[in-house]
Amino acid sequence: MYSAANTVYGILHASLAAVGIPEAVITLVAYAIPCGVVIAIIGPIAGMLTYAERKISADIQNRVGPNRVGPFGLLQFPADGIKLLLKEDIIPDAADKKLFKLAPYLVFTSTVLASLVIPFGGSFIVADLNIGLIFIIVVSSLLVVGFLMSGWASNNKWALLGGIRSAAQIISYEIPTALSLLTVVLIAGTFSMQEIVMAQGPWPWQWFLFHNPFTFVAFFIFFVSSLAEMNRTPFDFPEAESELVSGYNVEYSGMRFALFFAAEFANIFITASLATAVFLGGGNIGMDPYASGLGYQLLMVLIFFTKAILLCLVTIWVRWTLPRLRIDQMLSLCWKYFIPIAFVCLVMTAVWMLAFGGNGFFWRMPTI
Amino acid sequence: MNAVTRYFTNIRDAVATTLTGMKITLRYWVKEPAITVEYPDRLGAGKTADDIVSDRYRGFLKMEAGKCIGCMQCMRACPINCIRVTVEKAREARMLTRFGVNQAKCMHCGLCVEACPSEALVFTRRFEGASRDLRDLCFEHIAAPVPVARLRAGKGP
Repeated sequence: MYSAANTVYGILHASLAAVGIPEAVITLVAYAIPCGVVIAIIGPIAGMLTYAERKISADIQNRVGPNRVGPFGLLQFPADGIKLLLKEDIIPDAADKKLFKLAPYLVFTSTVLASLVIPFGGSFIVADLNIGLIFIIVVSSLLVVGFLMSGWASNNKWALLGGIRSAAQIISYEIPTALSLLTVVLIAGTFSMQEIVMAQGPWPWQWFLFHNPFTFVAFFIFFVSSLAEMNRTPFDFPEAESELVSGYNVEYSGMRFALFFAAEFANIFITASLATAVFLGGGNIGMDPYASGLGYQLLMVLIFFTKAILLCLVTIWVRWTLPRLRIDQMLSLCWKYFIPIAFVCLVMTAVWMLAFGGNGFFWRMPTI
Repeated sequence: MNAVTRYFTNIRDAVATTLTGMKITLRYWVKEPAITVEYPDRLGAGKTADDIVSDRYRGFLKMEAGKCIGCMQCMRACPINCIRVTVEKAREARMLTRFGVNQAKCMHCGLCVEACPSEALVFTRRFEGASRDLRDLCFEHIAAPVPVARLRAGKGP
């Protein structure tokens, strides 16, 4: 399996081992570099998404949005980030200080971990694990721990209610998310993200989205339930401004709050890239991502990011369209609608694979 | 409606209503321009603050000396006595010697403007009255004494 860390390690080992730098240091650095690069990419994207969110919400509500800092207000998010850095870091007296401090890092960690197995097109993937898809599902569940932890440690009733709500919601919606991703695994026969992308083609009818009617439904189940996992409207119960002030992060200020905020927006991008890679063909342009030249690989990255960013915009668009559901509607939507339908999709995709020998609606499975 | 039908109707309704809403927001997103007035510094080319309020806005009072007949109805109508008018007789002509409005006290009720028979006293659209000194808001509309205007019968002012 391809791993950027291995490649970096190979380069570092060849040049540095002769100088006498210990093996352990080289290994650590080799793993730190790709992670740092991913954080450096995810951070600005999350920042730009906050800008996009504010701008699009303004457009939808006939407002102007941020337009003072830099051209078109593009520098608003660095300004906000600097402001949050300079703010006082308040920890409530009654808070459980250790948990309170730990929680935002846990939330941010789960987001960054999920990004490690996302194939950004070409060979730009930190680690192509052979259990990539499962890894993402598992790691994004870590989010709940951080939310619950921050809700509990704040020692504030709004925060606690927000944390409990997010636990109830995210754990419920994990199931339809995972089930709808499994329909694709049935077709592709692998959990590796890169291989799932390679199993698809450059044209829309070669994507898993249009493989059969059930993957089509599964995509929308995945999209909506990941909205719920990201705590976005119409499923923003954990932060429900009108009910819980701001939910689990109500006691946080300064940079800790910024970490929650960045993780939330990075999650939008991660989920959109997951949907892109799994259902929308990722950065596939019909070429081998490892063997083709750098120009083609960058084209793959461009295509991948276009699709992912478009999905992010749809996420924002949904947020400013739909109001929050009632909490019983949220749970019945999951348990009475999404989970049964996702199961039906899974079983029917299996039946489809048996009946048509793996061929899709528009395309035929390459004979392996 | 039995349970099974309701189940599927629910799904159809959820999809249909979501799409309707998305269509509306898409229209607003793409087509509808912003209606925000970026008040102090970005009013648009050639616009001043006075242009952004409506025509019948009750801003500062303005007195046209050539129209005033010196009847002092505005002074009497003012509930908070922020208008001072003095008229003096010099030989045959009645002279308007003072027309002061304390704009800081004025509550923009419009009773003086209604009372004015010659439409000499009108509202402008000026509303930016922030000042460091209250005396800046006491306006004397007449610098030197002027003869009052005469209302002619049958003719409007």
